[in-house]
Amino acid sequence: MNSGLSIPITAQLQMEIISLLNMEAYYLDNGKYKEWLDLLSDDLIYRMPLRETLEGVRADNVSKDASFFEETKKSLTTRVNRLYTKSAWVENPATRQRHFISNIMVESMENTSEFKVRSYFLFKRSRGSTHDIEQMFGERNDIVRKEGDQWKIVSRTIIPDQSVITTMNMSMFL
Amino acid sequence: MIKKTLDEKAFQLLKEKMDQGLFPQWVLTDPDIYELEIDKIFGRTWQFLAHETELEDPGSYVTRWMVNDPILLVKNRQGEIKGYLNSCTHRGTQLCTADHGNKKTFTCPYHGWSYNLDGELIGIVAGNKVYGEEMDKSEWGLREIPQVASYQGMIFGCLDPAAMPLEEYLGDMKWYFDILLGRSDGGMEVRGLPQRWVAKANWKATAENFAADPYHVQTTHRSTVELGISPEDPLYAGYGHQVVTENGHGINVITSKTGKARVPYQGTPESMWPMFKKNLTPEQDDILSKVTVFVGGVYPNLSFVSPIHGTEGHLHNYLNFRMWRPIGPEKVEVWCWFLIDKAAPEEYKEAAYRGYLGSFGPTGTLEQDDTETWARIVEVSKGLMMRDKQLNYNNVSNYLMGFDRVEPDETYPGPGIAYPTTYIDAISRSMHENWFKLISKDLLLKEAVK
Repeated sequence: MNSGLSIPITAQLQMEIISLLNMEAYYLDNGKYKEWLDLLSDDLIYRMPLRETLEGVRADNVSKDASFFEETKKSLTTRVNRLYTKSAWVENPATRQRHFISNIMVESMENTSEFKVRSYFLFKRSRGSTHDIEQMFGERNDIVRKEGDQWKIVSRTIIPDQSVITTMNMSMFL
Repeated sequence: MIKKTLDEKAFQLLKEKMDQGLFPQWVLTDPDIYELEIDKIFGRTWQFLAHETELEDPGSYVTRWMVNDPILLVKNRQGEIKGYLNSCTHRGTQLCTADHGNKKTFTCPYHGWSYNLDGELIGIVAGNKVYGEEMDKSEWGLREIPQVASYQGMIFGCLDPAAMPLEEYLGDMKWYFDILLGRSDGGMEVRGLPQRWVAKANWKATAENFAADPYHVQTTHRSTVELGISPEDPLYAGYGHQVVTENGHGINVITSKTGKARVPYQGTPESMWPMFKKNLTPEQDDILSKVTVFVGGVYPNLSFVSPIHGTEGHLHNYLNFRMWRPIGPEKVEVWCWFLIDKAAPEEYKEAAYRGYLGSFGPTGTLEQDDTETWARIVEVSKGLMMRDKQLNYNNVSNYLMGFDRVEPDETYPGPGIAYPTTYIDAISRSMHENWFKLISKDLLLKEAVK
């Protein structure tokens, strides 16, 4: 899979990238959104296209033109700042949420120190004292790079498996 | 069916309270009322299906729902939009489950019956051999939606063949659609499929939240004030006019304290303004040049918002339509469309789309907080005190804002009954009256016959 020019995926490298994604999930699940922003590169591309139901065998059902997120670091910063106000009612009282990140695969890219990372996510959320447990699941396709000592997420495409979302809103980051 | 004696009384009491600007809370999520609503409101009124730009070419189709009725909307070879029940006439199987696509024929996966774009049954597997010569295929075409019509590119359907025509139903709202959808050469275009998600809410509450309630903006969306995006003045979303039109429709024309928005023409590129002027009447142009936000609704379950959105200095305008599909007394499947002027520069369209994602839809920071309040309404609606039909607990919601104390503004240039503030419950009360009219139709008549 690796070409001659790419950096080999060592166990150490893999551990570092897995740690990055685990740290990210920890920040998101504990309301440490400003710390989370620090894990994102300044040139971040953060997307979440819709899934479509299409006829045909192996039709590409990731939407080309409709999205839930089309974000930059700047726009995510605005979203995060809002969560630190007193009146973002969707998160005040705070929901309780977990990001379960699994099936992580790291792949090197040619002529670059960046790596492709694919992971699965299972997101669960509990709100107030309601009995419903909300969930969402899917795949994330990331590009990560090391800037100095710090691993950063450079690009993320979140692909949900539902075409109709069943969480009552999408105030979460995935 | 609902229990007769109590309900007749309950209905009388309901009407009495409504006439006083109050709305009994038991009706919001009552299961019997919900069934009546599906029958008597959604079975009788026009509902939004799609925008014409979602069906560009012959063979283009989208699948939609009118509450529980599956709809297959196609463009035929003649370029006409046809609406069918998305169900095979053989055994009722849902014919097409894709969201959209382009086809010449629709074939049922059960026994292979196939239909063309005109809904005609054109193929039966082993036809004559199993059915004989006597079966007439022309009797087994797809069932057409009784009425399909469009206005300014907005396609609606109606299950009642006797219902008034769409344009008559829209009434004065057409004048506002002409501004929202007709201001640009070539009209508006939809981007992609609508976002869809399931909110915990009753459809009446979400429709009202959008069409009739700018008063909630100052508190529900207070985070934008804290961030310095919206003004501190609690009246900021109240400046302008609330306009009541026929059949439960209405629109809020929100300006600002000065009587006009801080940017003309909602922050659209200046190069587009002469085009707006050309396509609008002087009165429509006057309104568009001053408005900050248009927000309103077409009864029963279509709402729209055309705001100026922008953070960090970039101001963009877009048009968002949403259809509230009831899927139970406490659940709504929201369908959210982004529309933008076809004639707008491409980079403006892209920036406006990003502005939309940041504000409305499930990921929109404004709408996220709305979903919380919608849920909080239904989550407490089952209690005995709320559900008491005799209203012993003063279990009525308050729609007294502006009731009998704010007079219409006769100088307002557009059609409809225009009140000189949007902090008023005039559209809500009109929606309730329309709701009552539809829901009680024939109900009291039956009583009289008995």
